[in-house]
Amino acid sequence: MAKHKAFVKKEKCLACGGCISVCPQDAILMISSKAIVDNELCNSCSICVKTCPIGAIIWEGT
Amino acid sequence: MHYDAVIVGSGPAGSMTARFAAEAGAKVLILERRAEVGVPVLCGEGVSQKVDSFKVLEGKRWIATKMKGARIFSPNGTTVTLAAEYAGDETGYVVYRDIFDQELARGALKKGAEIMLNTRAVDLLKKNGKIKGVTAQHFDETLEIEADVVVGADGVESRVGRWAGIKTTLKPYDLETCVQYTMTNIDWDSPYCDFFLGKHVAPGGYIWVFPKGRDVANVGIGVLASLSEAGKAKQYLDKFIAAQPALKKGESLRIITGADPVAEPIQSVTDNLILVGDAARQVDPITGGGLMHSIEAGRYAGETIGNAVEKQRFDTQTLSEYETRWKNAFGKKLHRNYVVKEIMLDMEDKTLDMLADSLKDYKFEEFSTLSIIKALVTKHPSLLVKLTPLMKLARA
Repeated sequence: MAKHKAFVKKEKCLACGGCISVCPQDAILMISSKAIVDNELCNSCSICVKTCPIGAIIWEGT
Repeated sequence: MHYDAVIVGSGPAGSMTARFAAEAGAKVLILERRAEVGVPVLCGEGVSQKVDSFKVLEGKRWIATKMKGARIFSPNGTTVTLAAEYAGDETGYVVYRDIFDQELARGALKKGAEIMLNTRAVDLLKKNGKIKGVTAQHFDETLEIEADVVVGADGVESRVGRWAGIKTTLKPYDLETCVQYTMTNIDWDSPYCDFFLGKHVAPGGYIWVFPKGRDVANVGIGVLASLSEAGKAKQYLDKFIAAQPALKKGESLRIITGADPVAEPIQSVTDNLILVGDAARQVDPITGGGLMHSIEAGRYAGETIGNAVEKQRFDTQTLSEYETRWKNAFGKKLHRNYVVKEIMLDMEDKTLDMLADSLKDYKFEEFSTLSIIKALVTKHPSLLVKLTPLMKLARA
């Protein structure tokens, strides 16, 4: 079974960039003031999910 | 398009770099990915009064209030006060960061720097492995912008440094994850900037209440990311507000999130490249404050670029003038405060209460973390064992 990937809920993201600063895979970009996860690079480590101060990052498929 | 320097980011660090480079005669371009300088605000909006000495801000429009001092509340509510009256009235301001940033940018543009908004740097431009500028996305256009120096003033999430091979990824224990409400309809009449500590208040961080004028205050929280879970920062802040009679009936004019590096300083220079501000982790690991560092380091970066342009040399050695200057100015302080941060993270709530109790009547003559550390060492010689090496660093 494929691993779940981090997914940013755009309607919640307030663009602080915290997730990008801690992503060990450099898998998150800020585009038009919303964080976006590159699924190809995400290794499901969950650091960004825990870091988001408002819980805007969830697991895709859960 | 060829520039002496292309600066990624129009925050205080980027604008100061641009201002002083332009003033030294360099041809400078600032790239800002957002549509408006300074918006959205991502900050608690407190700055030391030392900012006045740089003379880079015109007028008073950027000032919300002048602080009367600061109060630190230990977990059981014991209060340590740093009052303006004992600190020679030298405290700080609560500012409107959007106006503050726009004034700094305006200062740079008046000196001849150029700016492009809605322009996202997407990669470094390289030739034979040498940095030659940046590739940027401007609306639908992809631009190749050539420059002798690329400045990464691109904030906590800096990607410019990563592209140049500098390790900028933060560990979760080196990042404060933040939320802040700008509240009104509150009954908070303290003229002080207040800080609330405790494992049950803000794990590995603190909650702040900064008055922003009549009936408005910034109420925010920073939680150490390694001690956090999804959405925890906001939950802790909401819990705090609900328990404060003066705040709980308030309404919010604004909610923002933030991410604050509380890390050791990093390498900030390589061939044809400089990192400045949050991108270079120029933030006090205890307070999370970085504005003054960005402003000071931005000046050094700009002046260094001016010298480099004059010599037409852009190698690490030439640009190192910048790193030497900022590390001499406040690099040692950041290192010391990083060690203090680690000591504080190990403290139980009751230790914080005991330390606060011993300082509750102390008259601080300076508005700084160093004055608190010095007072603690005076009161608790046993702390000397841990802190003595740091005091040496402080004097160095």
